[in-house]
Parts: sequence; C-alpha cells; structure tokens
Amino acid sequence: MADKSSDPVALWQNMIGEMEKGFNAFANQAMASPQFSKAVNQMGGATAGAQKQLGELMEKYLVAMNMPSRAQMVGMAERLQSIEGQLNEIKAMLHQMQGGGAATSSGYSRTPRPPRTKRPPSADGEQK
Amino acid sequence: MTAAGPDLAGLDLASIPARIQTEVERAIQRSIKGVEYMSSAGPSLGSTPKDILSSRGTMNLYHYRPVADEIYRVPILIVMATTNRGYILDMVPGQSFIEFLLKRGYDVYMLDWTAPKPEEKSLRMEDYVLDFIPHCVEQVQRDSGENDVTVIGYCFGGVLSLLYGSIFADGPMKNLICFTTPVDFREMKLFQNFSDRRYFDVDHLVDSVGNVPPEMILSSFEMLRPASRAASQVQLWENIWNDEFVKSYRMFDRWATDTLPLAGEYFRAITKDLMWDNKLYNDTMTVGGRKVDIADIKVPILHAVAEHDHIVPYDAAKHLIAKIGSVDKEEVILKGGHVSLVAGANAVRRLWPKLDSWLCERST
Repeated sequence: MADKSSDPVALWQNMIGEMEKGFNAFANQAMASPQFSKAVNQMGGATAGAQKQLGELMEKYLVAMNMPSRAQMVGMAERLQSIEGQLNEIKAMLHQMQGGGAATSSGYSRTPRPPRTKRPPSADGEQK
Repeated sequence: MTAAGPDLAGLDLASIPARIQTEVERAIQRSIKGVEYMSSAGPSLGSTPKDILSSRGTMNLYHYRPVADEIYRVPILIVMATTNRGYILDMVPGQSFIEFLLKRGYDVYMLDWTAPKPEEKSLRMEDYVLDFIPHCVEQVQRDSGENDVTVIGYCFGGVLSLLYGSIFADGPMKNLICFTTPVDFREMKLFQNFSDRRYFDVDHLVDSVGNVPPEMILSSFEMLRPASRAASQVQLWENIWNDEFVKSYRMFDRWATDTLPLAGEYFRAITKDLMWDNKLYNDTMTVGGRKVDIADIKVPILHAVAEHDHIVPYDAAKHLIAKIGSVDKEEVILKGGHVSLVAGANAVRRLWPKLDSWLCERST
C-alpha cells in the first residue's frame, strides 16, 4: 500500500482539511474587525424589525385564510410531544405493573432504588 | 519515465490496481448509501430510560433509571447549556455519558431545556439561577433522600452552576464539575465582536423578536468556523460507504442544528452583564439583587477544558480555577473541541474515565 504522502485520496483529504483551516483562519481575521461587526449588526437590526412586521402580517393573512399560523403549529407539536410523553409514562407504568411493582399516582414509576452504599473501587480493592 | 519498479517517486505501482478497485467499490457504495441516507431517519438519540420529575415551561428535570445494583450516596444533577439539547450527553448506547455514569453506579438527574414559548420571553437570569436550579436541586434531594448533590454544568450550564453555587454557597452542592465554562468573556473574541456594544442593539433585537430565534444562535456558532459545514459535507460524501462514520455524522449534525431559542430577557442579561461588562470576571455580577462572587464557592471542583475549543477558548475558561474559593480544585486540559470533549469516541477514552476517578471518591 502506498504511504500517505503518495496516496492521492489521502492527499485530497489533507488538502480539504488545509483549505478548511485556511479559510476559517482568514474569515476569523475578517470577522474580528469593527467594520464587520457594524455591517452585520446594521443588517441584523433591519432584519429583526422587518421580521417582526412580516410575522404580524403573515399572522393576519393566515387568520384571514383560515389557516394555522406557525405559533399554532408549534403549539400543536408541543401538545403532541406531551401526549407522547404521557404515553411513554403509561407504557412505563404498564411495564411496572407487569413486573409486579407499584406505580405512584403522579405517574412517576418508583421502582425500588439500589442501596446508596457503593464505595470507590480503590477503597474495596475492586478494579476500575 | 518508466512503469517498472515497485516504487516510483514514493508511489507503489503494484498497489495501484487494488487501490483503483477499492475506490470503484467505494464509489458504488456511495451511490447506494447516498440514497439510503436520504431516505432513512437518523439513529434514535437520548433513549436511556428516564422519568420526568418536574416540568415547568422551558425547564424539564429528568431522572435516569439506575442500572447498577449499588449506587453512590451523592446524586448528580447535570445542568445543560440553555442553547442546546441535553441528548448530546446521551447519544446512543456505547456513546452515552449518562449510560456510562449509570453503569459506574451514579444516580443521575438532568436539568434540560425545551424551546421557551413566546410568553416565556420575560424569563430573566434570576429565573434560571434563583428558581429553576434551586427547584431542581430540591426535587433531587426529595427524590433521592440525600441532602448533598453533585452539580455538573456544561458550557453555559457551567456558568449557571457557578452563579447558583456562589449564591447558595452554604449548600447543598457538595461537588461541582464544569465542562468548558467561560469566566472571562472578553476572551471570546469573535462573540465579543459580533455583540460589539457600539453596533449591536440588543434592546432593539429583544424588543422586536421576543425570544432570540434559534437560527440566529446557530449562525453565530457556525460563523466561528464558516468553512467547516461545507468541509464536513465533503467528508460525509467521501465516507458515506462507512456506516459508523455516517451514524456518528448524523448524531452530531442533528444535535448541532437542534439549537434552542433563548428567552429574550435572559439573552439581554447575558449580553449586557457578561459580554459587555464581563461582570463574572470582574466580580461585579448580581442576580436578582444577590451578589455573585465565585470565590465564595468552596466545594471540590473539577474543570475540564478542551485544547481546541473554538467556542469557549482556553483563555476565557482558565480563570475559573484561579478565582474559585475551593481548596480541592483541579483543571484538566484534554485533547478535542467544545463538543468532542464531552461526547464521541474521544470523550469515552479521555474525559469520562477521568471524571469517574475524580468523582467516585467524592460521592460517598
């Protein structure tokens, strides 16, 4: 097998790595300037204002079209997530009951906990 | 030029046919696996069995089910960074920090975050430090029946842990472990420049958008290494025949892009108090009118930092050990970056065993 210095694939990978490092270093240098900060923040400030106005406009438009807004979709996703969580809890409780254990009314399955008596391995000669 | 001879200018000519065959096979595999990649879901992450102990808006407290027959007396509460999801510490079996701790006999809880809702834009630093963390510590105490708690904070979770530990210096925190935790925010040079007070109008931003959108947080992280995303996609294509590489890529890529929004008022406080006035380093920080001085923290502390951390450079993190009041204190500098320090193959070999050997003796 050819060594790394003559392996075209290894050379290609090395070149990509070096290009990445070089570009990152160059960009970091450019981004450290006050001019960059000024330009980015001017643009960002304008975008934030426009984003707010556009968001409000879209919200009104979607209401008029009788369609759900992004906030409502996020709310629905969160409700689904919470239902999934509750299903998982029910599943855990069922497993618990099948195994003969009891589940608390809060749904948090209180399996018998192991004793809190563990000692560091070095203290009782156990290997790490 | 001759074609004869085993070695010409360092090139082993005899190996060329085999090499061509390998590359052709890989090219075929790339096409097949590329289609598979597009049509399949990534691995299931954060699947270590856990129960939710408490949930309030953006805050969730989990308890991971112990797997050892015997556990250490002192439970662990992990405080996750508010910008990212906690499953970075619970990727897949064999690459899960949580699983590692459970197998080593620790009782593990995690304070993890979900996206704050629009109505949570008014959450302030004091809500996190004086309410969420103390509430979770109390829940851990009640659930475990133990008064002492070890706190582990990752990145900004470490900053929140420091603020909490300083204000509640009389307990019940027994040990503190910080991963890549910044103290001197002047040294986060690019973030400093992005948030230059002459040009960055944080009030206008927060008043306009409420919660700071995750896209903005993600792009500010990605701007630190602007070429890395493109380069990692080239690497993915080259290695798409390698199932292990693809699995790892998908795990980390999904986590990195799964950034959380930040509550508006909380972001305003981070920008003004930490990025602009560097109050934690200057010992002028207050939270909800209560003075913060990390010299008040006296519990044993381990601070793990990464040699090549581009998000929290060593210069921003190095003052923690010098400033803290603890006698029993240790800083460990490990190879790796901001994420590979805590997750992935390097962490399995480096950080996790180090943490276990440090913590086990302080957990009884």
